[in-house]
Amino acid sequence: MSLAPVKEEVTATGGDVAPDTPWITIVWNDPVNLMSYVTWVLQNHFGYDRAKAEKLMMDVHTQGRAVVANGTREAMEADTEALHGYGLWATFQKDD
Amino acid sequence: MARGFRRKGSGPRTRYAAQLDPLERATVAGLMEQVHDLLDPRPPAPEGGDDFASIVAGLGMGVTVAAEDQADLDPDDAERDPALDRLLPTANRQDDEVAAEFRRLTETGLRQRKAAALEASADLLRGDDKLRLDEGEAQAFLKALTDVRLVLGERMGLRTDDDVDVLEATAESLDPDDPLGYALAVYDFLTWLQETLASSMLDR
Repeated sequence: MSLAPVKEEVTATGGDVAPDTPWITIVWNDPVNLMSYVTWVLQNHFGYDRAKAEKLMMDVHTQGRAVVANGTREAMEADTEALHGYGLWATFQKDD
Repeated sequence: MARGFRRKGSGPRTRYAAQLDPLERATVAGLMEQVHDLLDPRPPAPEGGDDFASIVAGLGMGVTVAAEDQADLDPDDAERDPALDRLLPTANRQDDEVAAEFRRLTETGLRQRKAAALEASADLLRGDDKLRLDEGEAQAFLKALTDVRLVLGERMGLRTDDDVDVLEATAESLDPDDPLGYALAVYDFLTWLQETLASSMLDR
């Protein structure tokens, strides 16, 4: 019987059961949505200020995607559903 | 001749004003109705499959974007219109089961909310040439314009930013009677209209 550090035991149980595994919401670039509209959506839904919303919008535009939120799986699912309501190309996933 | 949206007033009395002539209003409202019908969660009419035809017909396009050309159809739902995948995209690219579960839980509600915004926005266009939208109406109108542009973009084959450049370049050499040219002109008009509304809503 070995005495593994507590921290490693938690890691060993890992995977889906780790309660604080962060999930993320991603917005992907698409050729239809306008830069002004994407900025407005990010401000309106997340309450981000203009500078943060524009930074994220530019990341989507220039890098093809941006992580726009992180948190629990439930929260990221809710964000993704809301962003689909706005017509944005959003996905959620575990933050690898 | 249309005048784009401008912000009027401030606070709860803010209005977004624009002016569209009857033909412009009928064109935009007609497209909103067609996308509404595409999303309507009620069971389709027995003949089915006519949503695509009606959108093409409504555009005055002959037939240029055949549904069978679309490669990414869900194997479990071969009949699913690819435009629906733009309106209701896959929510998880790593796990098909997670994506399917998300779709099962959210699709009906999303369809209902999108359909409601499209219907309300089409109604707003049936009044006067002068539009005056309050904040809620303006938000619904923005979403409705987005969904119409997503469907039109899909019909015209816009999947990447490069596709837009290619299409714009192609447009200059199109025959004047080519329905694609008309579709692109309508798309550009909607883009312009949405840009004026989105940018006036950002200025606060």
